[in-house]
Amino acid sequence: MVGKYLKIWWTMTRIASQIAFVSRFGAIIFILGKILRFAFFLLFLLLLISKTKVIVGYEIWQVILFFATFNLIDTVVQFFLREVYRFRSYVVSGDFDYFLIKPISPLFRSLFGGSDVLDISMLLISVGFVIMSIFKIGDISLSGVLVYLLLILNAFLIALTFHIFILVVGILTTEVDNTLWLYRDITQMGRLPIDIYKEPIRGILTFILPVGIMMTFPPKSLMGLLSIQSVMIALVVSTVLLYVSLKCWKFAISRYASASS
Amino acid sequence: MIISVSHLSKYYQAYQKAPGFLGSVRSLISRKYTTVKAVDGISFEIDTGELVGFIGPNGAGKTTTLKCLSGLLYPTNGKISVLGFTPFERKKEFLKQISFVMGQKNQLWWELPALDTLLLNKEIYDVPNNKFDEVIKELSKLLEVEDLLKIQVKKLSLGQRMKCELIASLIHFPKVLFLDEPTIGLDVVMQKKLREFIKEYNKRYKATIILTSHYMDDVEDLCKRVIVVNRGKIVFDGNLSDLIKRYAPYKIISVTLEENIDPKSIDSSLEVITFLYPRLVLKVKNEKVNDTASQILKNFKTRDLTIEDADIEDVIRRVYE
Amino acid sequence: MNKYLLVAKNTWYETVAYRFNFVMWRIRVVFQLLTVYFLWLAIIPENGDFLGYTKPLMLTYVLGTSLIASIALASRSYGIGDEINNGNLSNFLIKPINYFLYWFSKDMGDKAMNILFSVLELTMLFLLLHPPIFIQTNIFIIFLALISSVIALILYFLFNILLGLIGFWSPDVWAPRFIFIILLNFFAGSLFPLDILPKSVFYFLRALPFTYILYFPLKIYLGQLSQIEIYIGVFISAIWVLIIYWFVRIIWAKGIAAYTAYGR
Repeated sequence: MVGKYLKIWWTMTRIASQIAFVSRFGAIIFILGKILRFAFFLLFLLLLISKTKVIVGYEIWQVILFFATFNLIDTVVQFFLREVYRFRSYVVSGDFDYFLIKPISPLFRSLFGGSDVLDISMLLISVGFVIMSIFKIGDISLSGVLVYLLLILNAFLIALTFHIFILVVGILTTEVDNTLWLYRDITQMGRLPIDIYKEPIRGILTFILPVGIMMTFPPKSLMGLLSIQSVMIALVVSTVLLYVSLKCWKFAISRYASASS
Repeated sequence: MIISVSHLSKYYQAYQKAPGFLGSVRSLISRKYTTVKAVDGISFEIDTGELVGFIGPNGAGKTTTLKCLSGLLYPTNGKISVLGFTPFERKKEFLKQISFVMGQKNQLWWELPALDTLLLNKEIYDVPNNKFDEVIKELSKLLEVEDLLKIQVKKLSLGQRMKCELIASLIHFPKVLFLDEPTIGLDVVMQKKLREFIKEYNKRYKATIILTSHYMDDVEDLCKRVIVVNRGKIVFDGNLSDLIKRYAPYKIISVTLEENIDPKSIDSSLEVITFLYPRLVLKVKNEKVNDTASQILKNFKTRDLTIEDADIEDVIRRVYE
Repeated sequence: MNKYLLVAKNTWYETVAYRFNFVMWRIRVVFQLLTVYFLWLAIIPENGDFLGYTKPLMLTYVLGTSLIASIALASRSYGIGDEINNGNLSNFLIKPINYFLYWFSKDMGDKAMNILFSVLELTMLFLLLHPPIFIQTNIFIIFLALISSVIALILYFLFNILLGLIGFWSPDVWAPRFIFIILLNFFAGSLFPLDILPKSVFYFLRALPFTYILYFPLKIYLGQLSQIEIYIGVFISAIWVLIIYWFVRIIWAKGIAAYTAYGR
């Protein structure tokens, strides 16, 4: 079963990449843009640090780790869930009906299968910077790295649940793009450690919109700044969110009425 | 002559791309192209108030001709004069007197009531207030959309929307109206309503109307004069009645038989196109249609019998031959 | 009513009809604003400054550029590319209406709504967060800042058209626009005031048009520029308007020639 889904994912990814290649000019420009965006913000951080030495108590390579981790998670999420960006067209045109008829989970189809291989370049850059900053910070334990990776996976799960919620809203209201971009804008707040935000914003970003759990917890755990309780909370939050999102998805499907011509 | 076209030609280059992935790669390096002669040396003249139908199969050059006449395309060769203007110069005074209704391209603002777009067009075309009120009243009555103008366009059905789009195109009483496949995608009832409207509009306002269609019904209903185009050339220009008499003097009778019959029992003078029980399709000369139909109904047990026009593609083929 | 005024009015009402969409957009804007706001709040020491920017100055800068953004950047004209691509442009070529003015009017309708909301949001944020801000009292300076904002508005509009004209030759209008937005996000100064960059870099940026879209109007407002500097800046931005306008005319003519050669 897993093998079947893996094969389907691989085929869809191949097709999506071919389509991207047709507009080769555009695809390259997009990647260039993403790299530029990363580079510019990095330069901005360097500029800040060069004058202030610390940002909310974090030194330069720690700050870079936060940003690189954000990018890593963001890129991984976008790579796998790229299909969600096309969801609106499927619902509006009625193509979503085909998803429901085929013997493949419509949730799977709506989430995955639109991966753009070009995103891999951004992935590699993020990974590169993460590794670099880890070395520069030094004083890292193996267990720290493992918890880090665990929390990254956790972040991906939380992102997944958010995307499921976005799909749910999309099915019920045909409104997808705005909620999707809202998600991006909110998670963008995690480019830097959420310590910079004052309460109650910080609390909101940790518990209600768990950007903090997604983006700030992993680097913090790596640097030994995260308690076991926090790690536990992180895992609980993602599990609960996953459960709720799947329930919402079931609800949305049952309420779905196909779009008229 | 309000419209005169002389040796109009429109050629363009079409790029060829081989299919598949390898094809995409190859197209990066070299592209082959062919010259497509959409319109190839046509000439005609149209007088004020005429209702002319451009007919022909898909890709014959009908839409291209209309676009050249309206200024949307500039010709490769030839001369065009519409209302005394050269269309592709798109002078303001020219544009104020024409209108082009193109099938799928909507001009009504989706989220607003149709009236708002009409008011906008009023300003664009500098229609005086009293004329505006007059045209709204008359046209909305003719098209039966009086109550619909204040409803958001997105809430209207396709047919209702088309009617409003039509009014939007006629707000300025254009002297020349181009209609490109106006009935495509509409149901039979709407098609008929639209045809009646166009006929009425032409009669009432003496507007010169040129329409393209590949539905024989459109043309039969509306146009006294037809210009038949095929592969970019005019193959017939004259009265529809002459066209039919000359090239399609027959109808197709399709019968669904209740009981099988001996093929020999069919009159040998009749031309059988298909006989595969229970279907029997005959080609019958116009003069013989009624007789033949009643004969069939009398002599055979039938479930259904329809009489259809010759397929226009068939007519064109004959015209071209 | 003048046709272009009517277009602006219709766009306003269209935004009202699309209100869910619009409100979501404004929520996004607020989130983006908060991100930058809190970043600077955390960086600048309580009674100190960051390269000359005290808390009041920086926060005023951040909130102020947000307002200027709704004046200069709120637009619909990014839709030109798609309209050319799907052939709807034909509807306009057939009418006696100026295509640029039509889109400019649509932008104005959009800006009106965005400015209204921006003012409301900033007021709300002001009441909630109590940021220390700097109020400019010199009317003449405020006037110059407004003039500069209008130039910014025109500049951005012309950029939108330029990017949209790509639609004449390529179905891909969004990729170039993507790069443009990324460049704009950093070089217009919405994230940080451009003069905190090293002097050599900043001198180079002063020659670019992006600088005059957000940074320059705000800098005038903050009263930190001498009269000469203001006039030079206005002059440079005006030159850019002319240059880009010139490009737009040329490319438009070529584009129309191609469009009417092939049809859509």
